[in-house]
Amino acid sequence: MASTDPDRREDEEATTATDDEDTGAPVAPIIKLEEVAVTTGEEDEDAILDLKSKLYRFDKEGNQWKERGAGTVKLLKHKETGKVRLVMRQSKTLKICANHLGPYFPSIIADFYFIFTSVLPFDGKIRCVRACDFAVLSTMSVQEYAGNDKACIWHAADFSDGELKDELFCIRFGSIDSK
Amino acid sequence: MALPNQQTVDYPSFKLVIVGDGGTGKTTFVKRHLTGEFEKKYEPTIGVEVHPLDFFTNCGKIRFYCWDTAGQEKFGGLRDGYYIHGQCAIIMFDVTARLTYKNVPTWHRDLCRVCENIPIVLCGNKVDVKNRQVKAKQVTFHRKKNLQYYEISAKSNYNFEKPFLYLARKLAGDPNLHFVESPALAPPEVQIDIAAQQLHEAELIAAAAQPLPDDDDDAFD
Repeated sequence: MASTDPDRREDEEATTATDDEDTGAPVAPIIKLEEVAVTTGEEDEDAILDLKSKLYRFDKEGNQWKERGAGTVKLLKHKETGKVRLVMRQSKTLKICANHLGPYFPSIIADFYFIFTSVLPFDGKIRCVRACDFAVLSTMSVQEYAGNDKACIWHAADFSDGELKDELFCIRFGSIDSK
Repeated sequence: MALPNQQTVDYPSFKLVIVGDGGTGKTTFVKRHLTGEFEKKYEPTIGVEVHPLDFFTNCGKIRFYCWDTAGQEKFGGLRDGYYIHGQCAIIMFDVTARLTYKNVPTWHRDLCRVCENIPIVLCGNKVDVKNRQVKAKQVTFHRKKNLQYYEISAKSNYNFEKPFLYLARKLAGDPNLHFVESPALAPPEVQIDIAAQQLHEAELIAAAAQPLPDDDDDAFD
């Protein structure tokens, strides 16, 4: 990302300088809002994975992948039930761009919560990664994993909008530096 | 400010008018917030499209009804009706097209003729592009007219939340308002039968044959 072009750098500095300066005319507020208690919905879960990533959803009608969000993806394990779900939030706005259990692939293996299938265009073969492998990758060999620019795709009944929707997702991970 | 055919919500909502020349990225910016997608293909907006856009703040959920207007005059730009009861506004220009900045005063004048004393954010979009025609220090209009200014990129998401955050703070008169994590509700259990599963696997293989949208930067936030 870092640019060596002096013009460009100057622009970026100028941008930073003006970023938080309020040059707007004073206006009368039109509403009074009170602070409310914030709940993330994740209070009873532990994050077993927490990574910067970019998420895509497949638009079946247009037969194309579309960006869904860029931010932090988490695998959350419930403290009591042990259920694992995937939750991803868009950075800055913190809105939810994925929220689902599973996916389950009982025909392949029943014991693991997540099976990510890596994709043809990225490494030329379909391969399954179990949740436990995935967790190991996140702590030990992310660089190698991300360095190959691999991506994972899977199907999910997604609950981001508060209603279940069938989605195909694809995820790419940032380098270990971005974590 | 809801339209008659729009569902009303039990939390605060505001009419946000988005104006600026055609092709400056108004629709792309709104879509980016709505679905996360970045649309490269230019399809001019006809008339106006109204999109509800929700944000979660430390002061509860709020909604902007984004009035995404046609920038091209031949497609119905500059109708006073779009501006009526506007409670806040974004004026957008394209930093890679000087003319779109030159036209900002016209958009501002039209807006202010109908909407007096509303918070307005001027947005210089497409700052991810290397060959800018309008440099940051050449942007002075906001100082003359007391507008807020942000350089943004709908493509890289640079500052993409700032215009909404600024407007929300002004509308509520609370400089400490900020976005918070929306509650991630527990997804219901789903039973997937063998047939559905086979269908999903077939769909996955088909989807895997399609490339991802190109990503020339690796910004993950």
